Amino acid sequence: MPIRDQSPDLTPLSPAVFHILLSLAEGERHGYALRREIAQRTGGKLKLGPGVLYGSIHKMLEWELIEESDERPDPHLDDERRRYYRITPYGRKVAQAEAARMRDLVQLAAARFGVPKHA
Amino acid sequence: MPDDPLSLRLYRKLLKLYPAGFRDQYAAAMERAFRDELAEGAGIALWLRLLVDLAVSVPAQFAREVAQDARHTLRLWAARPWHTGFAILALAIGIGANTGVFSVVNALLLRSLPFRDPERLASFQLFFPPHDTARHFHDWRTHSEYLSDAAMWETGDVNLGGSGEWRRARVAQTSWNFFQLLGTQPVLGRTFAPNEEAEGSGWGTPGPNAVAVIGYGLWQSLYGGDARALGSTIRLDGNPLTVIGVAPPGFDYPDQTVIWKPAAYSENNYGWITIGRLKPGITWVRARFEVVADGYRVWPASRRAPRSNPSSLAPLRDELAGPIKNASLVLMGCVLLVLLIACTNVANLLTARTADRTAELSIRSALGASRARLCQQLLTECVLLSLAAAVAGLFVAIATVSITTKLQPAPLAAQTYSILDGRVLSFAIGVSVLSGLLFGILPSLYAGRVHTFGTRSSTDTRRSRAVRELLVAAQVMLTIVLLTASISVGRAFVHLMNVDRGFDRSGVITAMVSLIGTPRETDASRLMYCQEALDRIRRLPGVRSASTTQTLPIDAKGGMGGPLGLDGRPGTSNSAVIPVMPDYFRAMGGQILAGREFTEADMQSNASVAIVSDVFAREYGQPAELIGRLVGSGNYLRRIVGVVKFMDYMTECCGYKQVFLLSLTPGWPRTAFVVRVTGPTEDHIARIRATLQSVDPQVPVFDVKTMDERMADQFARPQFYKTAVLFFAAFAVLLATIGIYGIVSYTVARRTHEMGVRMALGTTAERLRGALLGQGLIPIAAGAVPGIALAILSGRVLESLVEGAKSVDAAAYAGSVLFIAAIAAVGIWIATRPVARLDIVEILRTE
Repeated sequence: MPIRDQSPDLTPLSPAVFHILLSLAEGERHGYALRREIAQRTGGKLKLGPGVLYGSIHKMLEWELIEESDERPDPHLDDERRRYYRITPYGRKVAQAEAARMRDLVQLAAARFGVPKHA
Repeated sequence: MPDDPLSLRLYRKLLKLYPAGFRDQYAAAMERAFRDELAEGAGIALWLRLLVDLAVSVPAQFAREVAQDARHTLRLWAARPWHTGFAILALAIGIGANTGVFSVVNALLLRSLPFRDPERLASFQLFFPPHDTARHFHDWRTHSEYLSDAAMWETGDVNLGGSGEWRRARVAQTSWNFFQLLGTQPVLGRTFAPNEEAEGSGWGTPGPNAVAVIGYGLWQSLYGGDARALGSTIRLDGNPLTVIGVAPPGFDYPDQTVIWKPAAYSENNYGWITIGRLKPGITWVRARFEVVADGYRVWPASRRAPRSNPSSLAPLRDELAGPIKNASLVLMGCVLLVLLIACTNVANLLTARTADRTAELSIRSALGASRARLCQQLLTECVLLSLAAAVAGLFVAIATVSITTKLQPAPLAAQTYSILDGRVLSFAIGVSVLSGLLFGILPSLYAGRVHTFGTRSSTDTRRSRAVRELLVAAQVMLTIVLLTASISVGRAFVHLMNVDRGFDRSGVITAMVSLIGTPRETDASRLMYCQEALDRIRRLPGVRSASTTQTLPIDAKGGMGGPLGLDGRPGTSNSAVIPVMPDYFRAMGGQILAGREFTEADMQSNASVAIVSDVFAREYGQPAELIGRLVGSGNYLRRIVGVVKFMDYMTECCGYKQVFLLSLTPGWPRTAFVVRVTGPTEDHIARIRATLQSVDPQVPVFDVKTMDERMADQFARPQFYKTAVLFFAAFAVLLATIGIYGIVSYTVARRTHEMGVRMALGTTAERLRGALLGQGLIPIAAGAVPGIALAILSGRVLESLVEGAKSVDAAAYAGSVLFIAAIAAVGIWIATRPVARLDIVEILRTE
């Protein structure tokens, strides 16, 4: 069932969802890799626990923002098989919409408050 | 890698908290994620993070899956609205009736009385403390070894008000410490003081006790809640009392009293009821022993022969619940049975539906849904069904409560039946959840057996059928119990209504008149009033005869009585004494066995005559042998002019030994006019009331009713129970029939093809239907055997709980089974109608 048609506007996305999309934009990732990458990117501020991580993945699969690619071992980590996810074209569009929303927000904030060069 | 098996095992357990669908997909991945995190470093911080993670994500996932399942369920329901509606209705009646009846049981037997420390309050039976003087009573109570306090009360109805405007009111005279004993504080003013008690008898005699505490409701209606009520005067039967206090709202103990006044002690008053408070540390067992001894110790002081039954006491709450208690318990049993039957029925329905959904469940299973996931879906369906039934049941419960409140009011205003009570609501929730589990377990178990990829084996079909037949058998079993119970209660009721009460109630109108406190109070003017009233009534069209009596049959509350004997010899036991006027037996439809009725001539000659009942006469010989002999005690003797069949006055004191006296001073404390009319009684009621009022507008005329109405009032409670039990039995039969119908029509639908083939091979449709009928009746036979056994057991219980209920005989057992079988057979025959319409050619072509 194409849920996309029912709820076209998913923005604003939750931070977890947006970060997952950001990571997957670079290529396929498995769950643990996603978690580690997001933690690094946010300087440890956003550490996704397994429940929230897979809860978000579950939701994103349903919304068809991402899809499963296949299950294969991670050559860098260990030999265990892991499930990989990749972003869908729709997921890319939603991420773009979210980025645009954020940009507009930032521009508005800059106009109102002024934005320091180095926050 | 610091692989910690313990934390991993713990995490695995925690993963079980997630809903089945989510777990199926991600449990393995999450476990790995956990191991990865462990590899980064274990510790309290990790576990804290994990717990927060669980706390956030478990409810979120549950909400998603339950919403999904709920949407699915609603789609299924919409597809089969009749099935669903029936299931909800059956459960709603079951849950609602249980909740409603439980609210009664709760109010009467579980909730505390609205008094201080109510668990220690006791009510005495067959016990009179010394009560000839106030001093003796208070000596007794203050020296008691097992009571910390005790009080006495007696109630009566009086005319409240004065000239012109009056109303009937319930008054209690109490020992001065009555309110203290109960721990009840007045909202205004004070309660009684020790020096406000009096000696002597009567309700309103002037004396130190001419003060009153009035009820809150009366305060509102008489004084509009004005504090100036204190010190004002109210008149009881014409005698003034000063209002000194107002009772708190809802306080109406005893017997819906609205006015309390201090006691007037007298030696001969045996209308007192004693209540007490057990001393701290005294157990109920000990108190029961003490009261027996106390009874024997005190009794000689009251100069009466010792009784065969020793004195006893019981918790006040049980005493108040009294007659309602057993009836409520029986009803509770019935509604529990009904709920069980409803649950079995819905379980049956759901099992069948699950069986029909094999294809859907198999496909979902093939698509990766685990057994747990499918069970979760089915359980969600059941929980939703329970919820819907519980909401619908709420309305049934409210209706039940309002019906019971009307037909079986609680003894105290504070004991209202309410479902808005913590205990009742918990009960309702508990019953809903339990029944949900009960009917949900079977379908869920069934789903556990659904195989992936493909259809179920024939073993499964057979097993499913066996389960359903077992359920029908269980239903039949429970239905037989209910049916026989309803027969037994119904017979007891019919017996109650048809028993010969010694009078003919049809066409009789009765009206009460109270002359106390009116200008017509003296002996002579009371007689004049009654005679004038009778003259006027007898002249009315359609009136055949009219008379008066001090007490009406089936209505006597404490009448007069004493040990009357024959020809100056003392009587062996008490007889009821009932003063009446001429023509009483004609008006009441009594049966004169020997001699004659009282006549106007007796009246004119001031004849000292009496009529005795056959039960009284039996001790002395044939009825005719008593005519002309003297009845009475001591020097107070009257000549017997007639012997009548006893009338049922429902008094506890004297059985059916009755002595009717010709009353030359009628109307004290009140009198009942008895009028026999021709034609519909309704036409006469208003006319008789108006005629009585026209004699003297200042005399209160009240309670104008036909004798039929009085009977109906008197037996409203048994009538209610009979109707309720019959209704539930009928409902049970209906449910059982629907269950059997369902199972058979399901079989027919499943075996269409096979039956088509068999018909092609020469079997007739009738023979096939006959075979199906035989098969359909098997579970009934299977349920009948344990059903009868259970019914015999429950009959014993019923006998002990319901007065007059007798275990039913073998014919009734057989009758109930046959009745169910016959109704089921009709259902089965209707369910097999499609067999007759089978198109063999069509069936074979699809082959």
